[in-house]
Amino acid sequence: MRPEHLARLLVILGVLLPLVGAAIILLPPLGRNGEVIEVHARVAEDGGWLPSELVVPAGTPLTLRLTSDDVVHGFAIGRSETQAVDVLPGQYSELTLTFDRPGRYTYYCTRWCGPGHWRMRGTIEAQGGGATPSSAAEPPYVRLGLDLDAPHPAPVVPERRPSAIGGEALGIDLPAGLRGRAYYETHSPYQAFQSLREQGSFSRLGDERVWDLVALLWRQATTARALEAGRALYAQNCAACHGEGGGADGVMATSLPGSLGGADDAPGPADLASLESMMGARPALLHGKILRGGMGTGMPYFGPIFTDGQLWSLVDYLWTFTMEYEE
Amino acid sequence: MTRFDLLRSPFLARLLRSRWPRLILSVAALAGFVLAIAAGLAGTPVGSRNFGIIAVWIAWWAALILVAVPLAGRGWCSICPLPLPGEWLQRGGILAPAARRRGLGLRWPRRLRNLWIQNAGFALLAISSTVILTRPAVTGALLLGLIGAATVVSLVFERRAFCKYLCPIGGFVGLYSQVAPVELRVRDAALCAAHREKTCYVGGPGGEGCPWQVFPAGLTRNSPCGLCFECLRTCPYDNIAVNLRPFGADLPRPAGRRLDEAFKGFLMLGSALAYSAVLLGPWGEIKLAAFRVGTPEWAAFAGGFLAATFLALPGAFALHVAAGRLLAGPRGNFRETLASYSQALVPLGLAAWVAFSLSFVFSNLSYLWPVLSDPFGAGWDLFGTAVGAWTPYLGAAVPTLQAGILIGGLAWAAGLASRIGHRLLGDDQRTSRRALLQASPVVGFAFVVTVVQLWLLIG
Amino acid sequence: MPFSTSRSPSTPANHAAARPAAWAGFLSLALVVLLVPVPTGAASGERTIRIAASSYAYDPGVVSVNPGDRVTIELVAQDVVHGLYLDGYGIQLRADPGQTARLTFTASRPGTFRFRCSETCGPLHPFMIGRLSVGPNLTLLRWAGLGLLASVFGLWILRR
Repeated sequence: MRPEHLARLLVILGVLLPLVGAAIILLPPLGRNGEVIEVHARVAEDGGWLPSELVVPAGTPLTLRLTSDDVVHGFAIGRSETQAVDVLPGQYSELTLTFDRPGRYTYYCTRWCGPGHWRMRGTIEAQGGGATPSSAAEPPYVRLGLDLDAPHPAPVVPERRPSAIGGEALGIDLPAGLRGRAYYETHSPYQAFQSLREQGSFSRLGDERVWDLVALLWRQATTARALEAGRALYAQNCAACHGEGGGADGVMATSLPGSLGGADDAPGPADLASLESMMGARPALLHGKILRGGMGTGMPYFGPIFTDGQLWSLVDYLWTFTMEYEE
Repeated sequence: MTRFDLLRSPFLARLLRSRWPRLILSVAALAGFVLAIAAGLAGTPVGSRNFGIIAVWIAWWAALILVAVPLAGRGWCSICPLPLPGEWLQRGGILAPAARRRGLGLRWPRRLRNLWIQNAGFALLAISSTVILTRPAVTGALLLGLIGAATVVSLVFERRAFCKYLCPIGGFVGLYSQVAPVELRVRDAALCAAHREKTCYVGGPGGEGCPWQVFPAGLTRNSPCGLCFECLRTCPYDNIAVNLRPFGADLPRPAGRRLDEAFKGFLMLGSALAYSAVLLGPWGEIKLAAFRVGTPEWAAFAGGFLAATFLALPGAFALHVAAGRLLAGPRGNFRETLASYSQALVPLGLAAWVAFSLSFVFSNLSYLWPVLSDPFGAGWDLFGTAVGAWTPYLGAAVPTLQAGILIGGLAWAAGLASRIGHRLLGDDQRTSRRALLQASPVVGFAFVVTVVQLWLLIG
Repeated sequence: MPFSTSRSPSTPANHAAARPAAWAGFLSLALVVLLVPVPTGAASGERTIRIAASSYAYDPGVVSVNPGDRVTIELVAQDVVHGLYLDGYGIQLRADPGQTARLTFTASRPGTFRFRCSETCGPLHPFMIGRLSVGPNLTLLRWAGLGLLASVFGLWILRR
């Protein structure tokens, strides 16, 4: 071959190879390739999940190739037991899911990625025959007719945090009617305090002691496992706004005011360490607030995200900001 | 003059005369260049996982400023891909020039035959650098723009006008090439004077006339020569030498009164300090201002940068030169004295750039391995190195290296200032004292700048 | 006046003879400046430092402790996931917003060290940098002193 032709061949090869690589990347674009879908994660201000709506046939495995275009994100399917997967910038994570039952599933971001983090949600619609999904049961706050947005201060407030250990040390048998989940879920600590106060057998106890008994009732209504699950859920989902100690001093609340998606005069995150507020709150109300979110405030609605078990674990854990459950 | 002519070796002489080494290396560079553009424009927006960012601003930059410029002067220019399409079009061929040549071949306007456009170009890059270095799409667009501009200029003007008068990289590479231990010169100037055809400049059967519009016999320093070795192929008398020589042998030299090169020196020195402060400092506000191109904060940052490098630093330097003239008794034209002493900023500026580059090169070099296997950040793994956590290298050694280089540059600059003083005022014992007095404030300036850079990098 | 008129002319031969001596002098002085031990009398204790990380800076961006201090770093991420990698000590933390990360170490190595973000947090991530000073920055002072020496040496000895 003449040297000039060899030289031209070299140049053509050198220039073509990278362009071929680019072509492979550019087609196909974001979207469907058989049962493998590429999903890009961006902070909510830049678009969130791309795409944010997927449609799959029920019962068919779906492989998702996930990558982030900016910061660390995570991916999980709401109301399911599938493990969350980290979605890292410039790297790919793969996840294969099969939706046996048709219906709408929500996927969401699991690593805080700015004030728009909770808005990073998408939906997967699993279509097809099969059992129609059962309609969700009525949440307790609806059954009880509670107004989630009304303030709920306790008329009587303990002077210090009620202690379940102190209550236990008293060695008193608690009334059967107040023990257990059914009572706990539908009554506020103040109502339990009042019921105990009305019973003659506790009249000789000081108020603080009675509050300790309330804390004991509350702790006995849950398990160590639920509390641990709630602790993890709180740290991952709530602490950024509500603060690591529940005091509404989370990094999102203090450093980025007005950016949580609410109206400018919307209140900040609720103070979960406030005795006055929490002692007057029924667990069902807290459950409903988390489920439905705060209308016009920055409180997200976690209905599509948490299973019922997760919601109750979280609610059970919230009491540890105002009550002492352990040494 | 201690010089060793590499062309004494028949092997090296054949190697340098052959067109293949340059072709292979520059086409490899072109392939990398095209890949960087493609990855920048089509790949992941995450800079640390994109070939366009890592291969260019970590790998190529490190090779350029740490190795190529200090050791080979304009060596990069000889294999740079930017002029290639233009040159091939001009010559109508890659290896063998064709009869049909393209391009208007206009001469570069006389008024623009200086460094001012390159100064402006580099300043423009500098005020946008925070976003260039971190957004792959911006790097991709910039590289595409550069090669496009080089090609268009080649079709209008003769030879490598883009390289000589427009390329922002070439501006400072030329300035710092004076430091290198390699040079291209003629062996016997009298032979050149007697040679009427000057095939080295106009071209001949062996090759093209010098693309850098240099007359080899007139070469007294490295800056204008792009080391393309075309003159090795055209000279009928084998009168070109490629010498190994002591570092910095080009300086000092009679400076004339042109200040464009002095301002290149100020711009580079000021940029090294500014980059160290903005990119490597703990001050987030400045970083964000520099990043948000187009906003008022950025305008304030850009204004500050330009004022510092074009007004404050040159002004301070001029004051120091004036102080020296006051101490020693004024002699000669002020502009000429200023231009002469600004040569002392060459080793100082290069040391500042090397020290600055050491910081981010070694701490981010580990990004190179994944990016080679996955240039577009698309989940590929061509060589099995795609998975790799970030690991900073040489964290403990880098500060000592940086400090050593800065002090070395300072000593060199001080010596150079002293020699410049002696050249300006006379070299005997009688005038030596005045020369030292005149040079002292400039050395003081160099000391202060070095301490500031030391503080920014290791303080 | 450093120059006496009665001094013999500085011929190249004289100057060449002086050079090795000058170099030796400079290098020994340099070694002294760089290596002479300087006592730092500060007592060591327990320190807890809360460092807030947001894109793209740490707050505080400059932290000082005494050599020997038992230091606990609390890394609080304020917007996205951030990390902290400390040069020279090689320790690393990672924090999500809402989950403060804590690490305790002993500041046994004196000097000034950079800490950098180790979790990609946006475009300027590689330039998210802070400084930890363990004791006074002797290194800077030493090298600055050496710079002074180098200036004088360059001016006087390297003039040919």
